[in-house]
Amino acid sequence: MASLSVEETAVQSDALIVTRELTKVYAMGDVQVHALRSVSLTIRSGEYVAIMGPSGSGKSTLMNLLGCLDTPTSGAYYLLGEDVSTLNDNQLSEVRNRRIGFVFQTYNLLPRATALHNVQLPLLYAHRVSRAEARRRALDALQQVGLSDRAEHRPRELSGGQQQRVAIARALINNPDIILADEPTGNLDTQSGAEILALFDRLNELGHTVILVTHDHSVAARCKRVVQLLDGRVVSDELNNASDDRR
Amino acid sequence: MNLLESLQVAVDSLIANKMRSFLTMLGIIIGVTAVLVVVAIGQGLKTEVISRIERLGTNLLVIIPGYGRGRGPTTRPGRLTDDDFTALRGKVPYVKAMAPTLRSSAQVKYHNLKHSTQVIGTTTDWVITDNATLTHGRFFTKSEERARANVVVLGAAVVEELFYGRPLVGEQIRINNIPFRVIGLLKEKGGGFGNPDDQVVIPLSTARYRLFGSRYLTTINVSTISPDKAEVVTESIKRVLRRQHRLGSGEDDFRIMSQTELLSTIGEQTAIITLFLGAIAAVSLLVGGVGIMNIMLVSVAERTREIGIRKAVGAKRRDILAQFLIESAVLSAVGGIIGIFLGVAIAAIGPRLGYQTSVPLQTIIIAFVFAAAVGIFFGYYPARRAALLDPIECLRYE
Repeated sequence: MASLSVEETAVQSDALIVTRELTKVYAMGDVQVHALRSVSLTIRSGEYVAIMGPSGSGKSTLMNLLGCLDTPTSGAYYLLGEDVSTLNDNQLSEVRNRRIGFVFQTYNLLPRATALHNVQLPLLYAHRVSRAEARRRALDALQQVGLSDRAEHRPRELSGGQQQRVAIARALINNPDIILADEPTGNLDTQSGAEILALFDRLNELGHTVILVTHDHSVAARCKRVVQLLDGRVVSDELNNASDDRR
Repeated sequence: MNLLESLQVAVDSLIANKMRSFLTMLGIIIGVTAVLVVVAIGQGLKTEVISRIERLGTNLLVIIPGYGRGRGPTTRPGRLTDDDFTALRGKVPYVKAMAPTLRSSAQVKYHNLKHSTQVIGTTTDWVITDNATLTHGRFFTKSEERARANVVVLGAAVVEELFYGRPLVGEQIRINNIPFRVIGLLKEKGGGFGNPDDQVVIPLSTARYRLFGSRYLTTINVSTISPDKAEVVTESIKRVLRRQHRLGSGEDDFRIMSQTELLSTIGEQTAIITLFLGAIAAVSLLVGGVGIMNIMLVSVAERTREIGIRKAVGAKRRDILAQFLIESAVLSAVGGIIGIFLGVAIAAIGPRLGYQTSVPLQTIIIAFVFAAAVGIFFGYYPARRAALLDPIECLRYE
């Protein structure tokens, strides 16, 4: 069990995510809420990281920042060496489109669109992807999650586990640098949850960087690294021996 | 995101809410239909009035006496005389025909039927100047004119009153109790100055010496060889009459009325009325636009989560803006097209109800463009609101 210092890993060439003193303060009326206090974190390409903590610990805030859905109040965030904390709204959209695949607790699929169209959605906002190409890639992604036969189904015709797999296919389609999953098994029964987690395991084995936000220890146990947050601070950042043993 | 895909997304979402989309469009449909029908009736009215006047002859100038300032401090009524007529006849160019008239109202009587009408005493050239045609009988001749014959040609309205429309040429009627023989009947004209059908025509000499005893003329009717010569002829008439009456310019004691002038006045007036009514109809189009704005705001609120999802996977503000803007533009454009079809269809039944209608192509184009513009204008605010939404808030939205 080795603790990694930020300074050590920041210089490594395969550092995918480097945050320095990342701070987020919300103004709730007159009260200032410090959701995140000086979080410095380095995540290398190919890592499988769980971000844990009780509610209110800043997990969601950290995930929103890492996912470029939000910008920090202070501090810097380097994604593949590029400082994304100063980008404008349009540039952030582009980064999300190219580099990040989101998986949400509530799946967040478009209810009226078929699985195929849902998976294609990111390509709609990407540059120069023809319709035929988009369709081919979407079918490909659906195959990766084992849902080739459900391409023309709408979300309400699919089980929760299947919907989440569609969401994962959507996250994969643009071949992102990071897959960010926020409580991906929170709404699922144990069986489907296990399948989804197995899917993340496999994606990580294929080389994808996966970051899971969870409060479930059994979920975190599968990851190779666990970052614990409390009151907006990183309180522990450990490599997970259990997961090494499993392999 | 290209336009075709945006259009596809917009149309899909409109089809998903068919009833709502239709009701929203209804405002635009009614607005466009109303504008088209109003303009169609206005244009039809204009065309009809103009064609009526044209039937009277657009190259007719009518000289009437006016009130001019004489050489004294008081104004005196102008007079038109036979001498004026003779002078004009010799000196004014581009004239096809010229007829003096002496008019007065009188009572005509056939057996027990009485009718008050306008009696016109004139010369044989009146048939040319006033573009008259006869349905029965003939006009009086120059020799009848010289002989002060008691012969009369009846206008269509008078035939209706006295003969109940029967063509009784050769009957005797009385004008102010003096017997006249009916020798011809005029074809119905409809419209123009006063009612040109409610009149009877007799020789000028007869009117002057047997009926009214006036040595002056009521009008001198001049028809030019073509409508575009009206201005030259008018100027020439003014010169001749000023010399005749020994007037300086600005002291004219006569007026010259032209049909083209009347035409353009009527044209302007119907244009103003059409514009006014069209503007009222356009207000309903505006109300339709407010309906679009309303429904788009509801739609944005309803689809907050969808907006969040799209933003999370990389939609830019302008993509979201375009999506909602295209949706409202499609709503109003489709509404506009339906409105155009409806408006043209209603205008097409107009003639069967007795209204002349015509829908100019440019009105159709303007109505469509206006409808689409209304959609974009009223769709912009909701679309912008959607575009500026925070993706995190959207994804949290239930």
